Amino acid sequence: MSENSKQTHSNPIDCGSPEHRTHRRLFLQGSMASGIASVASFNALFSVPAIAQETKKQGKKCILLWLCGAPSQFETWDPKPGTITGGPFGAIGTSIPGVQISQLMPRCATIMHKLSVIRSMSTEPSEHFQGIDVLTRGEQPRPPFTRPILGSVVAQQLGQLDSPVPQFILLDPCPDGNEFRSFKAGNWAGWLGAQYGPVRSGGEYSIPDILRHESISQVDHEDREALRKFLSRKFENDQRSQAAAGYNAAFERVKGLMSCAPLFDLDKLPEADRQRYGPGAFAQHALQARHLIENGSTFVMVANGMPWDNHVFQHEMHQMLVPELDNILYQLVSDLEQRGLLQDTLVIAMGEFGRTPWLNEARGRDHYSKAWSLAMAGAGIRPGVLIGQTDPMGFEVTQDAIDNRRLFATIFKALGIDPKEQYDLPDLPTFHRVEGNVQPIEELLVG
Amino acid sequence: MQKNIKRIHDFKLPTAILGACLLENHSQMIAACMDGIYRIDIESKKYDRISQHDSYASSAVSLTEHQAFVTAGYDGKLKWFSASDNALVRQVKAHDFWSWDMAASKDQRWIASVTGQYLPGDYKYTPAQETEPSVKILDAASGAVVHSLSHVPSVQSVAFSHNSKWIAAGNLMGQVRVWDVSTGEQISMFESKDFTSWGIIKSHCYLGGIFAMEFSPDDQHLIICGMGDMRDPMAGNGKQLWQRWDWQSSKLILQTNDKQSGEGLMEALVLHPSGTSFLMGGRLRGGEWNAALFDLASGERIGTIKSGYRITQMLFNDQDKLIVVGGQGQPSKSDEGKFPDFGRVESYEIND
Repeated sequence: MSENSKQTHSNPIDCGSPEHRTHRRLFLQGSMASGIASVASFNALFSVPAIAQETKKQGKKCILLWLCGAPSQFETWDPKPGTITGGPFGAIGTSIPGVQISQLMPRCATIMHKLSVIRSMSTEPSEHFQGIDVLTRGEQPRPPFTRPILGSVVAQQLGQLDSPVPQFILLDPCPDGNEFRSFKAGNWAGWLGAQYGPVRSGGEYSIPDILRHESISQVDHEDREALRKFLSRKFENDQRSQAAAGYNAAFERVKGLMSCAPLFDLDKLPEADRQRYGPGAFAQHALQARHLIENGSTFVMVANGMPWDNHVFQHEMHQMLVPELDNILYQLVSDLEQRGLLQDTLVIAMGEFGRTPWLNEARGRDHYSKAWSLAMAGAGIRPGVLIGQTDPMGFEVTQDAIDNRRLFATIFKALGIDPKEQYDLPDLPTFHRVEGNVQPIEELLVG
Repeated sequence: MQKNIKRIHDFKLPTAILGACLLENHSQMIAACMDGIYRIDIESKKYDRISQHDSYASSAVSLTEHQAFVTAGYDGKLKWFSASDNALVRQVKAHDFWSWDMAASKDQRWIASVTGQYLPGDYKYTPAQETEPSVKILDAASGAVVHSLSHVPSVQSVAFSHNSKWIAAGNLMGQVRVWDVSTGEQISMFESKDFTSWGIIKSHCYLGGIFAMEFSPDDQHLIICGMGDMRDPMAGNGKQLWQRWDWQSSKLILQTNDKQSGEGLMEALVLHPSGTSFLMGGRLRGGEWNAALFDLASGERIGTIKSGYRITQMLFNDQDKLIVVGGQGQPSKSDEGKFPDFGRVESYEIND
């Protein structure tokens, strides 16, 4: 499928990184020394060293199924069968007695006791860009400061800086597929720095030119890199150059990508797994996310453009999108559980808001942020919990309204990240990981 | 020659109407609505909800020869009712998924219903193969399934020829198949790529297709309608589009004149009783009309309607009056627990 497949790799599952081997050459000794420094700097990223050690020990990870465009809560987690707002689809029972979800989700219905659902999300923005901002960063924008996106925070807090595997990966095949098209590197990681931005891959964003050219031997390639690194570090240290540091960070990332090319090649994934997840881009990238997490990435965000924004053909599109999501979530949670990874891997399936109870003239549902739903499973999240309630026609939250701050406080706490921690940002105003001194949703958290 | 199309009568039903048929005396109509099946006396504007499907009712056909009418729904069922007392005569679970559309042959021997769930078949979201037969032909008198025919999901429109020999069905991908009704043998297939969008922006998947079709009066051609290509499928701003095909030679004959077209999904077609023109209707997204009368021979637009709501079906009564049904957007607020009515029924006169 990708150009990566033109080159063979000894083991399609292993990362295959030459970083796993010790090199004999002098320059590489310098590289190893700088690696030690980087491990030290990893600890320095945390204002409380004990938390850093704990999170490293926990090794928690996260897969965000980013349902961009905003899915309908009526056709997923909060059906209202038989009502005028309920749409044409029915509801089915689940593995939790008395709890129903859309008939479009028969597989998730069988593992509902492993999932947790919030039916009472209530947020402010009802336009995409603002909604995406709030639901990926946890907070309304405060220009000119850019709060880091969830993946950047998790990568910084839980990731291994020296890993050749990118710690924050965005898989999205649509270059114009959502509001991210206007994001620059700094828009992702904000004040954390561009090194915590995502590596983007998938479809038309497949990563070009990350394979070593055939005319260059592996030894020569490593020697060249060691020389480049030595000279650059020296310059960086001598000149205290931020530009050189950024340059070095970019090289490190490319080097990591080159070494991990097999991880980004869908064709290297087991065919049986690819069949199970389904043929669509979203399904294939969800499988790739599992693979990347298994092989050292910390946060993988799987998006598929903005297909959920069904202002027209709401039911005609959701009859395709929801069953695909149903299978993906089922396979992902089941796989992670079978591999012993679910207890350390948080899976979140959410968009930026929900959809209106009413249908417009184009038989679409429009944006609706007053009452919507999302689902989570895995690390730190108590399974089988249903949070909140909406009225019989889905207009209002009637119990346990949850906003973006409480959601993010819950996500961070589930991952072992202190939600109340203050960022150490010289010359910037005081920012906290989650503002407002809000409490996580304790009913959702294990222990 | 331009025609004057004048609204002469209108009223509302509680919910949007997705399909309709006139009963024998043409003063009464059956409406397939989001919340059930309505029997309507058009002149008096009185109506009763006589039954329901387990989901939206999607279409209705009249079988005057059998003193019956049939409704289909998104529950995949076809229901036969007595035209005299609305009693349920029989129901047939025709599909696992929706009945998108239903038609009766002109000789009233056959009923056809089409289905198909769009599921991804590859990385680009080309539709997967069908999981059940997409087209079912049933004996109108007994409800027995006579033919189960294959197509590519989702199959969204179906029509019988005027001589009742052929049946055509169109799908999401703009593919039209034509079968011999008596044998079930496929005798033609053509594809128009003009009705289907693949989301270049926002979403990499397919959207659109053929939403209504009619054979020409001589059965030599098929008129199909929907919406033209969109860069952003979620915008719903494709061209209001019809095409006329010689279905036996798979040749495009005529299509919407660009200068006479606005934007919006077209999902209703009806031949004028004179056999010299046809109407296409649907939703207005941009432009000046959401239903228009076209000269059959030249394709020129000769009259327009701007209804202010989405048109889902058009019918002519025995006095050549045009009956138009559909729905406005669903109200966003209820009034003391009751939603304002948003189903629409209108009658029009067409004059020189």
